Amino acid sequence: MKSCKRKEVPVSKPLLSLVNLNKYFGDFHVLKDITLDIDRGEFLTLLGPSGCGKTTLLRCIAGLEAIDSGDILLNGESIKDLAPNKRNVNTVFQNYALFPHFTVYDNICYGPRVKRTLSEGELKQKVREVLELVQMAGYENRMPHQLSGGQRQRIAIARALINQPDILLLDEPLGALDLKLRKHMQTELLQLQKVTGTTFVYVTHDQDEALNMSDRIVVINQGEVQQLGTPREIYNNPRNLFVTEFIGDRNILQVEVLEPGEGTVKVMLGGQVVEARSAGSGLTAGDKAVLAVHKDKMRVACEPGPNSLVAKALSIHYAGSQIRLELAVGQDMETGWVKLTVILYQQSDCECEPGDSVWVSWDADGAVLLPLEPGWQGSVLV
Amino acid sequence: MKGGISAKAGGAGGAKRGGLEALRQNVLAFPILAWFGLFVGIPMVYVVVVSFLTRDDLGNIVWQFTLDNYRRIADPVYLRIFANSFLLAFLTGVVTLLVGYPVAYTTARLEPKRRNLAIGLIILPFWISSLLRTYGWVILLGNWGIINNVLTALGLIDQPLQLMYKFGTTLVGTAYMLIPFMIIAIYNSVDKLDKSLLEASYDLGAGRWQTFFKIVLPLTIPGIAGGFTLVFIPALGLYFISDLLGGGQTVFLGNLIHTLVNRGRNRPLAAAFSVGMIVMVILVVAICSRVTRSKREGFLL
Repeated sequence: MKSCKRKEVPVSKPLLSLVNLNKYFGDFHVLKDITLDIDRGEFLTLLGPSGCGKTTLLRCIAGLEAIDSGDILLNGESIKDLAPNKRNVNTVFQNYALFPHFTVYDNICYGPRVKRTLSEGELKQKVREVLELVQMAGYENRMPHQLSGGQRQRIAIARALINQPDILLLDEPLGALDLKLRKHMQTELLQLQKVTGTTFVYVTHDQDEALNMSDRIVVINQGEVQQLGTPREIYNNPRNLFVTEFIGDRNILQVEVLEPGEGTVKVMLGGQVVEARSAGSGLTAGDKAVLAVHKDKMRVACEPGPNSLVAKALSIHYAGSQIRLELAVGQDMETGWVKLTVILYQQSDCECEPGDSVWVSWDADGAVLLPLEPGWQGSVLV
Repeated sequence: MKGGISAKAGGAGGAKRGGLEALRQNVLAFPILAWFGLFVGIPMVYVVVVSFLTRDDLGNIVWQFTLDNYRRIADPVYLRIFANSFLLAFLTGVVTLLVGYPVAYTTARLEPKRRNLAIGLIILPFWISSLLRTYGWVILLGNWGIINNVLTALGLIDQPLQLMYKFGTTLVGTAYMLIPFMIIAIYNSVDKLDKSLLEASYDLGAGRWQTFFKIVLPLTIPGIAGGFTLVFIPALGLYFISDLLGGGQTVFLGNLIHTLVNRGRNRPLAAAFSVGMIVMVILVVAICSRVTRSKREGFLL
């Protein structure tokens, strides 16, 4: 489906380009050499832990923060020196920032009125359209304090969309909503984006949200772009250790490379030899590396099989639809015990008790091998 | 605000459910209630009562009911004094608002360290006697004062400008004396303003002035109304400023009451004027708090 969509979009200049963007707060380097192209009509998510600079990046695009070096190009023209009110981008703020002394109608009219782009008659029609779009028709005369969180959210989106911005910037717009409403609004936002064809740049720290909604995800940590790609690429092929740890739920195990090769690599884990897929980083024999396997892509058996490791069951937790197995892999005290977790969605053939030995395996394709980064603390049990 | 405290405590205390329990819950409010009762309530009642009494030739109060005092207030000469006082207090409010708003707004948007310094500087004059500060204006504005001396020395004027003893002089002095109240009141409401509302306004295409008039000003009206009340009430009663700077050219309520008590020895008439002044204050406070309340209701986000 993705590839079909790509074909429809003609090769053209990106809508927004960030070029070597740098931003400091005093001595603190918030954004480091961010370079990024955003295409027209796409849903791009900036994903990262809190304090990583993703909101600052959004505010730089909006013009609410000045950048220290680099450039921001909108439709090929630099907008870095333009005031926020001269940029054709609009923001949906985290706390919605609805004007408390205006009705819903006046809130939505604010943009066109201050810019004097529409007559009052045209406005009336326009407001009705955007309110229908966000499913809030009939709320024109309410005051913001009479609305629920989800409703305020919709009005904030309507207030931004009526200006027909080139880009809609959304700063953790679902952060303040409860889980159920959040799931619902995710679908609605996606729908809205499709219908209006507006380019969305969306900031979140919630990986599920990012994976669910985005055309592309930019993973940011400590002011640097860690990886840019489709949700599938980010999820299956993390480029570095940070993305590996941040996205998905993986066992991250320290290993030693035995036989590097094309595609599959033989590695030593807890004194045993297994195969893994290399992420294409030039590893040589004897290198320390990190093996990352999704916890729910591992299998447990009572007998050895291909590419399997013997492990000791430490504990078993039954949690509704899934079973969590805590295992330790290792042979002697010299190599230490490596702890890993397996999540099974159905009862395995192998019934085991804590203390039993089991064989754990995975498809070599599902495991990623990355070079060890300095300073990384492994999950080795002594 | 004072009324609010006592009314609330009184209301809860008078509730029927478990008198003793209510008593215990409000026991901490009693000192303040006693304070207001003793030093605000009783004198107030005393003033109202005296305003309906007569006096003998020596100025002693005689227990004889009369409406004469109020009849005398209605005299056009005296009504002018009411008008003068209202005008002075009102203009003081306007002047302090116009001068104080920019100061308060700029102060509230400073970084915390500088902000505290600025607030300190605004409050600093309170440490000096207000009488001394008023004499300061005499030194500045007098016929042989600093301003006239400088202008004469520069050759800009031949003879001293008459800056003293005018309505405007009193206005300058009163506004100067009361402006900190206005600044602090507005400062508080600007400080409470959600910064993201301003950002949203810029983001939606408004410039600085549009943002100020459409967002900042309407949302700080409670501060303006509060500051206006805080300035208007004392401006009605400050009599030494008009004595020193106005030279008694324009008679205000404060001066009149002062004269009636100390020289005229006509305390009942002075009391009647006081009651008139209180009514004026109540009217203004009622208008201001109405404005504040209607605004505040919408802001409970």
